[in-house]
Amino acid sequence: MASLLDSKKGLISLILILACLILFPLFAPSPYLVHIITLIFIWSYVSTVWSYMGRFGLVSLGHGAFLGTGAYVTALLFNFLNLTPWIGMLIGASAAALFAAVLGYACFRFGIIGDYFALVTLAVGELVALSIIALRDITGGSLGFTLRSLGNSPLYFQFGGKAYFYYISLIFLLFALYLWKKIDKSKMQKALMAIGEDEVAASSVGVGIIKYKMAITITSASLTGIGGVLYAQYITYLNPHTLSGVGVSLAIPFKAILGGMFNLWGPTIGTAMILSLEEYIRVSYGTKFIGVSEVVYGLALITLIIFLPKGLYGTIVEVFRKKQKFKGTKGIH
Amino acid sequence: MLEQILNAALNGILLGGVLALLAFGLNLIFGVVKIIHMAYGQFVMLGLYLIYALTMQLHLPLVLSASIAVFAMAILGLLTQLLVIGPLLGAPRLNQLLALAGLIIVFENLAMVIWGADYRGIPLYLPILKIANFYIRGSCLFAFLGALITLGLLYLFLNKTYIGLAIRATAQDTEIVKLMGVNPRSVYFITLAAGGALTGIVAAFFTPIYTVHPHFGSSFTIMAFIIVVLGGMGNLLGGFIGAFIIGVVTSVSAVLTTTEVADIIALVIFILVMLVRPQGLLGTRGI
Repeated sequence: MASLLDSKKGLISLILILACLILFPLFAPSPYLVHIITLIFIWSYVSTVWSYMGRFGLVSLGHGAFLGTGAYVTALLFNFLNLTPWIGMLIGASAAALFAAVLGYACFRFGIIGDYFALVTLAVGELVALSIIALRDITGGSLGFTLRSLGNSPLYFQFGGKAYFYYISLIFLLFALYLWKKIDKSKMQKALMAIGEDEVAASSVGVGIIKYKMAITITSASLTGIGGVLYAQYITYLNPHTLSGVGVSLAIPFKAILGGMFNLWGPTIGTAMILSLEEYIRVSYGTKFIGVSEVVYGLALITLIIFLPKGLYGTIVEVFRKKQKFKGTKGIH
Repeated sequence: MLEQILNAALNGILLGGVLALLAFGLNLIFGVVKIIHMAYGQFVMLGLYLIYALTMQLHLPLVLSASIAVFAMAILGLLTQLLVIGPLLGAPRLNQLLALAGLIIVFENLAMVIWGADYRGIPLYLPILKIANFYIRGSCLFAFLGALITLGLLYLFLNKTYIGLAIRATAQDTEIVKLMGVNPRSVYFITLAAGGALTGIVAAFFTPIYTVHPHFGSSFTIMAFIIVVLGGMGNLLGGFIGAFIIGVVTSVSAVLTTTEVADIIALVIFILVMLVRPQGLLGTRGI
């Protein structure tokens, strides 16, 4: 499937999958399923743009910072200044980008990589959550706040039905996947690959480390900000704990890694897997004992990480490749 | 006002003692196993619940339930090494980090299932002492002294016993230590057990001070991180000094502003130290 876009057969199957996805809300047995798949699209989008950085060794554990910045800036502009989220979204994304630029420059300038980068970003995610709580006069603090409801008004990014959000988030997910391919074909991919392997060696052959890292960080952060806006507009409620802070900042890489962050479809598959697991456990145990579903979920996550270190999709691709290689050598002999 | 600030600083020093003990375990595990124990604060939370359950629900004497909790947390540390950290020793660091973060979800919700979301505490009233113009909570003073004694014993353990020597040697060089006839894996087990027992001890000292709830641990994990980074990861003396700095800074700024702003200040210190001096105040760079 990694070569889905390259071969003719792959293209046809991709179009078929897309057609199914587009028609799905029309024939869906219940709005609940549309809701779950919309959430899968939104979080797949977020974990895909997270992997833009993650797969080049820039492991951020603080994407909640950008998610929260984007969502809160946009929602506050709407609630207080009546600015439509379609424009506010761009401002929110720019705010996240600016934030990422400052953070990124500071980190890359001082040569913060690996674990240290992960820990700094983790702290930044928590910092944003605490700042949102501390500014409780305008943000509502830990209690969060609700978006002003305008009923069905597409100009203000509010719709009467769930299906609209389904299509919008599908478009954003497709865009994120397209951009991944675009990055893969660019010079940036090679540069970042080299940097990820060995920074010093890369810089010694003239690769501008800071420039490329900044570019990918800002791209990832601003798109994550937009992801926050999508989620907030869909749920119409903003809370510092669901949009930033340690919990959500760790949940994003969880999804990407369990799917396989080095593959185009990995984050999407990881998100689909985790959200379905979460929902399944919640529906089957959640009503009996509060908390049991999360315990099972946590144990499942740990088990998956131990036994599938390359992620579900990553492992499948690897097994498939090994088989092909095996076939290949057989052919030569 | 000045008196208030001085009083807060004094309380910060007392808090620093306990934080030093908390950070010590995290630091030891990082130094030896080279792993960042994301669920460390949750261990303390479980320890507090265990003491609560044994004392209030099974009516055991407090000292006995505290000792059982210390022992149980040591076992939990061993289990963590056996089931989670051990299988991931060769894995990418991000996977290790996330697996331990998965433990946060498990522990917090396990506590939720067993004890519910209510605040639980043992009604223990230690007197408030008045020295000159300063007010000191007896429970904080008790925790401070207990933490210092425990740290002293730990110092002796690490420096005067064979196992302590093996632990320190493993922290320095895992490969060479094998040539000296030490099995790093058993050292890892001992370290995790010691780290677990420490969380039990911290929980025992926290019992008179705090009431516990399922999300009690996370703020202490972050606090312990900040201290460990400030002092230099793996540097035990640095962590000791860092704990007092953070204790004083947070309690003074909490008096001057709000507790969130105090936490924000601690995080900003953390980020700045990471950027400018990632090896910490006393640490040496290079992992």
